[in-house]
Amino acid sequence: MRLVLISAVLLAGCATNGPEPGKVVAQDRFEQLVVPGRTTKAELLAAFGETKAVVFDSGYEAWLYESDAGGGRHAELVLLLGPDGIVRKMRRRPPYPTDPPPR
Amino acid sequence: MRARGLLTAVLVCAPLLGGLVPSALAQQTTPDSGPVQSITVTSTRDPVDKSYRKMIRGMERFEREHALAPQAALRFRLLPRSPNVNMHGITLKVVGDHITVPVPVAEDNSFVLPRNEQALREDAAVLANRKTTSMTWRAVVMTPGLPPGTRRLGDLRLECLVGMEAGLVSNSSPLFGWISNALTTPEEVCNNPDGNFLFFTERPLFSVTLQSGNRIEILPFHMLYAGGDQTRDMLPYCDCQVLLDRTYYAPIWDRSWPDDTLVSFEYMEDPQ
Repeated sequence: MRLVLISAVLLAGCATNGPEPGKVVAQDRFEQLVVPGRTTKAELLAAFGETKAVVFDSGYEAWLYESDAGGGRHAELVLLLGPDGIVRKMRRRPPYPTDPPPR
Repeated sequence: MRARGLLTAVLVCAPLLGGLVPSALAQQTTPDSGPVQSITVTSTRDPVDKSYRKMIRGMERFEREHALAPQAALRFRLLPRSPNVNMHGITLKVVGDHITVPVPVAEDNSFVLPRNEQALREDAAVLANRKTTSMTWRAVVMTPGLPPGTRRLGDLRLECLVGMEAGLVSNSSPLFGWISNALTTPEEVCNNPDGNFLFFTERPLFSVTLQSGNRIEILPFHMLYAGGDQTRDMLPYCDCQVLLDRTYYAPIWDRSWPDDTLVSFEYMEDPQ
């Protein structure tokens, strides 16, 4: 039993446990406040709070916020922060008809 | 190759045996005990070295499923897995009990595996001059003439099938390799949304877009960066360890996307 448990933990190394959602924010406010090349990490935290983020060895960070897209679905608002803590890029991913049903 | 594996085991265990029976070993090494036999070990086989037979099976799979990428040729490629591995000047060889076949490695660490019947019979291993766990391996199936910064979904489907058939994806631990192998046939991995077969781009990645005719979709965040859930403690068990910012899942299992679907990458840094 212990072997199975240890194996499961090790094998989970490259597995995902279902997507962890980003913090839901108001899209209008988000688009008003977030300007690539100018907005800082501190300003993001002050305006929207912490959210799901991936920090890379290079110093870059990818942050995921979400906005309500109606019908229980959410759009993704993804930010790329440079090593200097300034937003470099932003993208919005709408929900697609082929996406799995809302959680 | 079984004999070589056994020899390795004996060599590894020798110090332990020495601790148990010091007097017997000491007698054999005294200068007065007559001529000392010597053996030359040209190489030792790591339990997780790549199997030549498996890699050839991967090549045969490529031929059987070539319709997924009819214009593409097959290569294999070495990629960094541990933080400090030197990826320059790598040499590669196929090593059996009585045969060694050098394999030329290109500048980008890709190579074509030659077919050799004797190496097949001897269940040879494919060995690089790096610690086995310091690198990960992938099949490369690339249709020529695609726009820069793009891949073709059929190519990726074939890379998955060949890579799994060839046993290229490095496991978290050799001790538990048999369990993961039992759970991960090529079909289980490549035709399943939970297959978790990782692909890598050439540069750090910000966004991935799929296009087939008028249908255009951006991949969701959880299909980038190995799901985005890897912690520092988990990363050493993933062969994306040092490639996390270049890692993505492609919807190879989703047949609503045809093989000719174009997969486009937006990188973290735009070309100057």
